[in-house]
Amino acid sequence: MTTANSKPSAPSSLFNVKRAVFWIIGLPPAYYVLAILIALAPAVSATLINPNYWFVILKQSAPLGLAVLAQSLVMRVRSIDLSVSGVFAFAIYVASSGLLNSYPPFLTVAMFIVVGLLVGVTNGVLVAYVRASAVISTLSVSAILIGVVQYMSAGRAPGSTPTWLRVLTSGNIHGLSYSIIIWIATSVLVAVAFRFLIVGRYFRAVGDNPRAAETTGIPLARTIFVSHVTAGVLTGIAALVQVSALAVGTIKPGFDTFMNALAATILGGVTFGVDRGGVAGPFVAVVALSFLFAMLTVFGIQEPGKLIVQGLIIALAAIIYGTRAGRI
Amino acid sequence: MNTVATYLRVPYRAGAIRLSIGTLVLMVLASIIFLPGFLAGENLSNLLAQSTTLVISALGQTFVILTGGLDVSVGSIISVTTAIMTLDMPPFVRVLLCIAVATAFGLVNGYGVARLNVHPIIMTLATMGIGQGLALIILPIPGGRVPDWLSMSVAGSIGPLPNALVWLVVASLVAAWILYRRPFGLYLFAAGGNEFNARMNGVPVKRTIINAYVLSALFACAAGMFLAGRLASGDPKGGAAFGIESVTAAALGGVHLAGGIGSIFGTVVGAAILGLVNNVMNLANVSAFLQSVAKGALLLVLVVSQRRKTIGL
Repeated sequence: MTTANSKPSAPSSLFNVKRAVFWIIGLPPAYYVLAILIALAPAVSATLINPNYWFVILKQSAPLGLAVLAQSLVMRVRSIDLSVSGVFAFAIYVASSGLLNSYPPFLTVAMFIVVGLLVGVTNGVLVAYVRASAVISTLSVSAILIGVVQYMSAGRAPGSTPTWLRVLTSGNIHGLSYSIIIWIATSVLVAVAFRFLIVGRYFRAVGDNPRAAETTGIPLARTIFVSHVTAGVLTGIAALVQVSALAVGTIKPGFDTFMNALAATILGGVTFGVDRGGVAGPFVAVVALSFLFAMLTVFGIQEPGKLIVQGLIIALAAIIYGTRAGRI
Repeated sequence: MNTVATYLRVPYRAGAIRLSIGTLVLMVLASIIFLPGFLAGENLSNLLAQSTTLVISALGQTFVILTGGLDVSVGSIISVTTAIMTLDMPPFVRVLLCIAVATAFGLVNGYGVARLNVHPIIMTLATMGIGQGLALIILPIPGGRVPDWLSMSVAGSIGPLPNALVWLVVASLVAAWILYRRPFGLYLFAAGGNEFNARMNGVPVKRTIINAYVLSALFACAAGMFLAGRLASGDPKGGAAFGIESVTAAALGGVHLAGGIGSIFGTVVGAAILGLVNNVMNLANVSAFLQSVAKGALLLVLVVSQRRKTIGL
């Protein structure tokens, strides 16, 4: 019999087991996909379990990882950024066309961040303050950037990327490429900001219920603006890392970057207003997607098959979340 | 004639359609004054043929947007349709197969959004990838041959009327009939305006949403058939641009992406504006590469001028 002064009893081991089971069930689909792929890898090819191969996969995933981090920020506050392709196209063209060859290298690096920042500010103003549709306004910004690139390049591929910039992908510390370090460091920074800064709570509140957040005094428009600006800067850094992995520039970085970024974000447990995956979920999702595509290549599955698998993954991940709780 | 006028009337929930009409009229007037070749029969015929695929796909998109959703898989359905129309089987079977595939895509999209609570952008993006993959499996590279009757139905004319105009008018009248003459049309406005209120008033919201996606897919199928007839061949990536352009056309025509506000006439006007931008820039010898900039800028101006009450997608 317990008395008023007695200490509450420690949770039973059964309770702990139950909690652990619910925690595992509640994990974003990305964790399950990665676990299944790792389990299957030895049976598919010995190369897939080679640690060096994993470093290569992580290195290739770094630009996508940063783009996913950016997309997850805006999706947390129920918005979307379709200007990823435009920022990539513009920044890659400027860096590889030789326009900045006569300037010091730091200016090229700054250019990526400034382009991302300007696009982020434009998107943020349009979505948060002008209250234009996020889909249409970010798409328009992307169309303008791609159009400018096509006009400047007259449809021709630009030159080679700066040699010194390639060190971001080729250089490493104990086998870990600089691009992976940038990706991990940026993810940790965002995670810490979400955990310890007030802006993290604002993001969560706005994502949960924008109207309630505004009623309780949270600056709704400013929070959405900040999410777009931060996403723009992160997309600029993603474009920088992407250029460092290319020998020759391109004017058509493709819609794939956006599609993969969206797929990884959803797979990682972040969707419109839902933030179950945190920063780790999308990170794991990027690794899982890259590993999956590598495995599909081993099986000899070409672009059409990969598109179908990508679509099925997005649909399944979204359906799992949708059936668990409300609209995502 | 009165009936046609009634079908194309501008209801009070048509959105900022006056702005769209004004923009179109200004563009047409400027084109007539500054571009001598604009009114030439060949140019108008080209303009019509280039715009019809977009108009038909945008009409279907309007049903979905009215519910507050978005269907970006429209482009893939167009691509799959053009690919199927080149298959080596009887023409009748090809048409039936196109309709069956489009209906299946529409049902999956609608069921995912209405019953499984998936966000429309995510659901249709997933089926967009699946559809694109399917189109590339059926027809890996552009080519093949579509039935002769399909090419003739697009390229020919009935008296002075080009067939493309007939496709456009029939599609618009069918869409207007569904939206303004069927209870389903009223349900669309109700479900998009306020889902909870609509449900409380007995509107079958989920069924309405599913039907909207099926209709969007069927209109995309019709757009794909028109495109296949115009190209006289298939193109597995030929529809890719229409997924986003159809949304753009509807938005330009005053259809609110939040749902509940829009009109068929507005969508036709929006698609006409987009078609005219390309045509006018070609006639004015402006670099084709600047067309994307012009379209983006025009869209930004129109979207900015339609300030909404809430922030969001």
